[in-house]
Amino acid sequence: MDFILNPYYLQIGMFIMINAILGVSIYLTLATGQLSLGNAGFMSIGAYTSALLTLKAGFPVYLAIPIGGFAAAAVSAVIGFPALRLKGLYLAIATLGFGEVVRVVFLNLKITNGALGLSGIPSLGILLGKALSSAGFDQGMGGLSVQQLSNVSVLLILLILVVFLVFFSLRLSRCRVGRAFAAIKTDETAAEAMGINTTYYKLLAFLLGAFIAGVAGALAAHITFYIGPKDFDYHRTVEILLFAVLGGSNLVWGPILGATLLTMLPEVLRAASDYRMMIYGAILVTMMAFRPQGLISEETLRFWKAKLGRRKEHDLNS
Amino acid sequence: MFWQQLVNGLTLGSTYSLVALGYTLIMGVLDIVNMAHGEIFMFGAFTGLILASHFHVNIFVAMLGAALVGSLLGIILERVALRPLRRRAVSHLAPLISTIGVSIFLESVALKVFGPESQAFPQTLAGKIYTIGPMQISLVQVVILAVAFGLMLILRFWLARTKIGKALRATAESTETAGILGVNTNLIIVLTVSLASGLGAIAGVLVGLTFNAVEPTMGMSMGLKGLAVLILGGMGNITGAMFGGLILGVAEVFSVAYGASSYRDAVAFGMIILILFVRPQGLFGAKDQTGGR
Repeated sequence: MDFILNPYYLQIGMFIMINAILGVSIYLTLATGQLSLGNAGFMSIGAYTSALLTLKAGFPVYLAIPIGGFAAAAVSAVIGFPALRLKGLYLAIATLGFGEVVRVVFLNLKITNGALGLSGIPSLGILLGKALSSAGFDQGMGGLSVQQLSNVSVLLILLILVVFLVFFSLRLSRCRVGRAFAAIKTDETAAEAMGINTTYYKLLAFLLGAFIAGVAGALAAHITFYIGPKDFDYHRTVEILLFAVLGGSNLVWGPILGATLLTMLPEVLRAASDYRMMIYGAILVTMMAFRPQGLISEETLRFWKAKLGRRKEHDLNS
Repeated sequence: MFWQQLVNGLTLGSTYSLVALGYTLIMGVLDIVNMAHGEIFMFGAFTGLILASHFHVNIFVAMLGAALVGSLLGIILERVALRPLRRRAVSHLAPLISTIGVSIFLESVALKVFGPESQAFPQTLAGKIYTIGPMQISLVQVVILAVAFGLMLILRFWLARTKIGKALRATAESTETAGILGVNTNLIIVLTVSLASGLGAIAGVLVGLTFNAVEPTMGMSMGLKGLAVLILGGMGNITGAMFGGLILGVAEVFSVAYGASSYRDAVAFGMIILILFVRPQGLFGAKDQTGGR
């Protein structure tokens, strides 16, 4: 038990969850066919808002994290309204530029401590540990120490969040809003002709993506207790994009698989961590050349469903 | 003070124009944004630096060498990242993503090979300063302005008057029609990408001379600025790229001179976000080329 629950593995588990949340955030904007490269920017807005609220204004963490998400969503509404008139490449470049502007602003503001970043952000694990101790679990529970217990509960909270987001996205794709997203992705002009308010739905997807990215950023801030402008640069954007490209952006499972694989890659392959960016670049190029739809697409799912279904039938018959 | 800053701005801007021309050429012919352009620019700067400091060649020879390496990288880029996508119908975002892949690949290769620290050109051109009226202009600046404007003029003439230039413009208009009319469009596309990359590499040497610093991350920031100019001037518009670069250069230098020096890198993007909202087709773009691509 101690072997599995060592802090290192738990930490990786938390990063996988955070990255999966980021994967969902880019999936939601891609669901309308919009490529937004501003997710790192929204993430940093969420992270800084939440960190500053807890550090300077004394907000409790559980309030500060959603406020971080709302701050990111509010900013995305301001830039999204005009930006979504832009299509395809223009939107990608404008949002990329937005991310750069946000980074430069955070780098220069006094309250964000410039290039040094913010440190000593209240950590979720320690807060939960304190809560557990005061609740009478200061000796731990079931052979686990308080520290392990609090780390496991943070991981559980994140897992529940990811499961909720997956459930939300799956439900979304089967309701009116999700169908509108799919229609816009397939053909925007046709969707508009069918009476779908494309601006509204595109803005909605953009807002949702920004909100989730902001929450992910806030969570990341409270897990690593340090954030700096360097954490949210162009490379982070590329990383988030890669989750969707590797896993596939047609189904919500794709970005989650992508996030899991890519977070584990540098940990499993120690030698790979030195060449991480090189490997990322190579993956992007090969995926686009050979499998632009990503690892998981509708066909993959149908194939496995059919295969597993047949085996069950086979088992029943024999 | 004003005139001096104007000269500095124009010098900087002319290198931006050269970078943006590479984006514009590829955008015009292939309808894609080549996100790896900045990294090719950076490799050009390093090639020039190595030629000038280790082989002690003339700065113009160094530029030529950089241009050769840049074109070669461009040809490889076209083979690896663009041609496989052209063969089948993929979403228009695919080339963008695949060139982003090439860009971060090249950047991390440069970090491994050249090291992360910034390196300087040998001081062969420095020292000479001419005074014209209220402003001082250094020999380096003269070389930069001459090379940048010379190349832009040659490019304009070449596109307008020669047969290959005509074929290039025809391919930009419509690849299929040009192919039917007997233009070897594949060759033209390779030529465009290598030409754009060669120009970018020369700009790399010029920027390395301007700031006297060459580092692996310079491709990123310059690439983003080139993109800003691309949008500022209008996508695929050559005049737009030239003037857009100059405008951005002057705007940046003035923002540094009159206050917000640390926001210098945000100027470019503040400008394009503004432009995109006010005039999405860019300053020089035609009305029918609005962001609807």
